[in-house]
Amino acid sequence: MTTDRLSQWLANYRPLPGVPDELFDANGKPREQWMGFLREFAGYPDADSDGRFGMAARHIRDSGASYRVYGEETETSWPLDPLPLILDQPEWDQIVAGVTQRAELMEAVLRDIYGEGRLVSEGALPAAAITGSPDFLRAMRGVAPPAGRYLQLYAADLGRGPDGRWWVLDDRTQAPSGAGYALENRLVVSRAYPNLYNTLNVHRLAPFFDALRRGLAATADRSEPRICLLTPGPFSQTYYEQAHLARYLGFLLVEGDDLVARDGKVYVRTIAGLKRADVILRRVDAEFLDPLELNAASRLGTPGMLEAIRTGGVTVLNMPGSGVLESRALMSFMPALCQRLLGEPLKLPNIATWWCGQANEQALVEDRFDNLAIAPAFPGSGPFAVPKLVADLSPQDKALLRQRLAERPGDFVGQEVAQLSTMPVLRNGQLQPAPFTLRVFAAVTPEGVRILPGGFCRISDQPDARVISMGEGSRTADVWVIDDKPVERLTLIAAGDDVKVRRILGHLPSRAADNLFWLGRYIERTEATLRLVRALCSSLMDSESSLHGRGQTFESLRAVLIDWGALDGATRPARALDSARDALHDANAWGSVTYLVRAAKRTASGMRERLSADFWGLLVDLEGDLAGGANEIHSEAQALEQVENALRHLAGLSGLTQENMNRVAGWRFLDMGRRIERGANTCQLARTLAHDAATIDDLDLLLDLNDSQITYRARYIVGLALTAVRDLVMLDPYNTRSVAFQIAALKDHLSVLPTLQEDGILEEPSRVLLPLAAELETQDAATLHADKVLAYERTIMRLSNAVADRYFLQGANAVPTVKLVGLA
Amino acid sequence: MKYRLRHRTTYAYENAVSFARCVLRLTPRSSATQTVTESAITVTPEPSARLTRIGPFGAEIVTVTVDKPHKALVIEANSRIDVHVPPPGDPDASQPWEAVRSRALNTADLSPDGPASYLFATPRTPILPSITDYVRISFPPGRPIIAAVSELNNRINREFKYDPGATEVSTPVAQAFDARHGVCQDFAQIMIVGLRGLGLPVKYVSGYLRTIPPPGQARLEGADATHAWVAVWCGDETGWVGFDPTNAILAGNDHLVLAIGRDYADVAPIDGVILASGVQTLKVEVDVIPEDEPTPAHA
Repeated sequence: MTTDRLSQWLANYRPLPGVPDELFDANGKPREQWMGFLREFAGYPDADSDGRFGMAARHIRDSGASYRVYGEETETSWPLDPLPLILDQPEWDQIVAGVTQRAELMEAVLRDIYGEGRLVSEGALPAAAITGSPDFLRAMRGVAPPAGRYLQLYAADLGRGPDGRWWVLDDRTQAPSGAGYALENRLVVSRAYPNLYNTLNVHRLAPFFDALRRGLAATADRSEPRICLLTPGPFSQTYYEQAHLARYLGFLLVEGDDLVARDGKVYVRTIAGLKRADVILRRVDAEFLDPLELNAASRLGTPGMLEAIRTGGVTVLNMPGSGVLESRALMSFMPALCQRLLGEPLKLPNIATWWCGQANEQALVEDRFDNLAIAPAFPGSGPFAVPKLVADLSPQDKALLRQRLAERPGDFVGQEVAQLSTMPVLRNGQLQPAPFTLRVFAAVTPEGVRILPGGFCRISDQPDARVISMGEGSRTADVWVIDDKPVERLTLIAAGDDVKVRRILGHLPSRAADNLFWLGRYIERTEATLRLVRALCSSLMDSESSLHGRGQTFESLRAVLIDWGALDGATRPARALDSARDALHDANAWGSVTYLVRAAKRTASGMRERLSADFWGLLVDLEGDLAGGANEIHSEAQALEQVENALRHLAGLSGLTQENMNRVAGWRFLDMGRRIERGANTCQLARTLAHDAATIDDLDLLLDLNDSQITYRARYIVGLALTAVRDLVMLDPYNTRSVAFQIAALKDHLSVLPTLQEDGILEEPSRVLLPLAAELETQDAATLHADKVLAYERTIMRLSNAVADRYFLQGANAVPTVKLVGLA
Repeated sequence: MKYRLRHRTTYAYENAVSFARCVLRLTPRSSATQTVTESAITVTPEPSARLTRIGPFGAEIVTVTVDKPHKALVIEANSRIDVHVPPPGDPDASQPWEAVRSRALNTADLSPDGPASYLFATPRTPILPSITDYVRISFPPGRPIIAAVSELNNRINREFKYDPGATEVSTPVAQAFDARHGVCQDFAQIMIVGLRGLGLPVKYVSGYLRTIPPPGQARLEGADATHAWVAVWCGDETGWVGFDPTNAILAGNDHLVLAIGRDYADVAPIDGVILASGVQTLKVEVDVIPEDEPTPAHA
């Protein structure tokens, strides 16, 4: 069976003519490192189906690993191929040597461009090949990089050319993405084939990331530095990757307005005030880093950041301006620069490139025009902003391009049209060749350059191997480097003596506190709304026993749902079922369950690095409970089933929060959000259903919604009494659902959170909360009329605002910045 | 020609501002065509921190931080400048424009005085085929560059309407071009976009133009204005030549240069952030006073 399948795969595999292949060598023989994998792999009973891999891939969905197409609300699932790219040790050694050299070359070129500038003044590099790049930051010329170097992370995109050698297709020196994806890919593939992964000597990835982290930490001027990963935010295409990396490396994930530059240093806004940020690994392009000095329209940066870099008060890596080396114009100079700066030839060749800013090169490109690809010399926009094969252009476009090339030759490079090698992929149960590129990562640390033994492999959907882009539906694969001897089993465990034990991970950033608080509120509101819908479908419908007041209770219930935005007050559904359906699924209603779950997920996605995969998974499940939509609801029973499933997953979330989340500030904000929401909701329900003229049905419903039926029945045999119900729901400190209980929990939270000043004066949230707490302790249920309950409810909302003002970004420590106006 | 220069900017706020950080590009720089003998910037209230450095385009940049609450911020720059622009040479003796283009692409000068920084598109001055087409008419093959740019300078002055109400500082260049109207900044940007479209190096120049009061009247205090024009690199020998399309003249001894850059963003006199809410208003007063002028009248 196994051998049959394998020999059938191999027999039907047809490498493309004239293109090298990873599985078969030039003599048509399969390579040993691939056969070692395929022999085992073919032995899996479900190897040619998606079963095994599908399970591992589902893990990706559950952990939320997907990349967001810019500006799009829904997430695309992440296409990972089952077969890794497999490279043997001798091959890998060449790549390591080549990429290491190139990282050193990049560093040396940056040092010159932003330092002495001799490459230009001595004629090795035309000035215009540098100034054409929007990433050439003149403001950084003559500024000594605080870390003593420009690059922390460098990546090279490689492809195997027709000559069988690895070529460098692109350099990534600004803020390379993909290392986090490589990590996630490895997680999935090693989970799918644990035996294969362990028996073949696959190099581990962890030591590289450990080196990256140590490298960054070493640049700070104090031990235990605060290291931040600066992200453009959740709308960035690679946000998930950034969150994943931050979490894996233990860095604080921050956005530009989480940071403040003061007195030549940079600080993070936290719930305990401003705290120093020592090192920033940036994923924000340099242009957007500092609206004061660079792109004034940037919302992603921090005013004053460049000044802090100049004074050495913060280390930012890669150094702003290092993106200048991503220009294709520079490619053609690299062989000579390598010889000049490192005294040796380039170990990995570039893809052949000619910058048309030079007369000879321009003439050559114009000569061979039809056989080349024309690409922008510098990153930018416009009709020729992406590489184009001249042969594919219409006659008009060709003429236009020729004119542009003649008038602004410096904007273009000509490049050889490269056919990249192919690797085997599984499609419809068969092996077939597909072109790919390989991104290799180098961490530049004080101890030298280290290469991630693996990488980020992108596979083209097209048999034509000339242009590859993640955005065009390409897939990815893990990359296995197979050693000929057993590999060391290293994990991120540090040597015992180096570790200072700590129990609290720094101060919670204000943004995270904000997100957690709102996540708590959304989850609680979702639960409360689900309970209301359940009441609509069940207790009211079969309450044959109650002969009076049924219509009134139903109206009260609807009124609350309308007030909460779950129902549109203007329409009057004929049946309770229609109301239930709308309250669950009306995506236009800002309080429907569907809407609330999405809001919760969106809030959670802004801080994925703080939530466990299980937590995220439950949120995804919760969304799944409602996935059938309104169409599946034809009876109360069907609505109830959706509601019950959703409530079960919410119970799971609560359990996870209580049992698996560390009792640090983050948990407190999540819990405070829930308590405030529950307290206010309970007040509203109590004054709606336990007012002075309440019916038995009203009180019965209130106990249902408050989850207090059993407690009440156990305490009182006499049946429902207004004062007793009020006391249980509002004042009873032992009932976990009462308002008093929420307030007591909030009091506990506030007492533990940090204060801004050690002057013994109460902060505003406590000033709002403490009188309410005292009143609830002393209030008599008999005189707890609706107006009093309303006053409590308003106090709770005031508390919510006070918490926001004190702890969150829009609070007192961060008034929005306004730009000075006008042409002065 | 010697001048005293005063440039006073006043920000008034509805609510008190607790923190302000400003980048000031208000110090004129000495060059081949002008000598700055004195310059000083005063900020009220007194900044808690003040840093001076040489900016990306060679001029001095001052960064100030004000961290006490204030309802008005006043920034005043005073300087004395001697402008000595040499008389223009024979336009027809300048280099063919194509030779300037290829020389600029291959210069070994990375400094802000070299041509390399001024060849490429910027966000405010993109390459726009329609403007390149408009400019190309003045650039037949082999034409001497100063002659060609002078003709363009005159065409813009003739074919565009000066209209202070038509555009704002943020108006895109394409919009002003299509409507054939604007102010000094629009004309400068059109010239930059068109000339760069042909591969020529052009700078945005901000500064001041001396105003001559009507005969028998004194100059009004504070009534002068900031001005913008361009400078075109005309080869290693000739270097930069200033063209003022608003007035269809070459920049001469009435033009005081404050700052140069690729576009307005590089020369904006003040960039800042404040911690505040509420309305802010801005007032700018400029005085360009020839050293031999008597005391001005009050506006």
